[in-house]
Amino acid sequence: MNGAYSGWLIGAALLLALVGVVTAVRDRPMGPVLLAGLGLLELAVLAQAGFALAGLGHVAEKATFIGYLAGTVVIPPAAIWWGRAERTRWGSGVIAVAAFTVAVMTGRLLQLWNAGA
Amino acid sequence: MSAPSGQDRRGEAVRSGPGRVLVAVYGIFALAATSRAAVQIATRFAEAPLAYVLSAFAGVVYIVLTVALARGARRVAVAACLVELAGVLVVGTLSLADPAAFPQATVWSGYGSGYLFVPLALPVIGLLWLLRGVRRS
Repeated sequence: MNGAYSGWLIGAALLLALVGVVTAVRDRPMGPVLLAGLGLLELAVLAQAGFALAGLGHVAEKATFIGYLAGTVVIPPAAIWWGRAERTRWGSGVIAVAAFTVAVMTGRLLQLWNAGA
Repeated sequence: MSAPSGQDRRGEAVRSGPGRVLVAVYGIFALAATSRAAVQIATRFAEAPLAYVLSAFAGVVYIVLTVALARGARRVAVAACLVELAGVLVVGTLSLADPAAFPQATVWSGYGSGYLFVPLALPVIGLLWLLRGVRRS
């Protein structure tokens, strides 16, 4: 796992959460921007999961670490599904929650990674 | 209790709109709390049995709430919210009064301070949402 890459990922996820909040406040459902953002976020967390699993021997708390990795990979597709099902501002709200969760989980992943060093 | 159609409409009122966001947040907490407790109990139960059992209990409460909200079961959801609120207040107070009993943090330690106080805010928001719907219908 790469600290700088994960740092950027956290920033991007927080930005996406902010866009989700703004979209919800403006009373809009998920649009192309949120959809594309979630798609890119998913690609980014998949790449991160690849790096992280490649260096798994480095981590002390393997089960917890893999749990968080799985969480980050599963959440963006779930948010896309939800955003399509609930075509109101609350769909955008769910996306904001999901993006924020990915940011927090990535932060916990970094902590676990650095603790193992 | 009224006819099934009325029941359905009230269930719909619980799970649509802002209820979706609540379901999502509770779903995440259900996943986080139960998986954390499972890892803790499986790998080092002896270190802090009380804290880990409470973590598992919190996880179960979150699972019940996620399902109840998603299915629009208002009464179950209200009951679970009250249990959750009591849990976070009791465990939060105990963890501050007797830190020795909680050498390892649970979701509810320090009133959920390790989770940005979301565990404390959630039951309050949940109850407001559920009871607002009652008054409206």
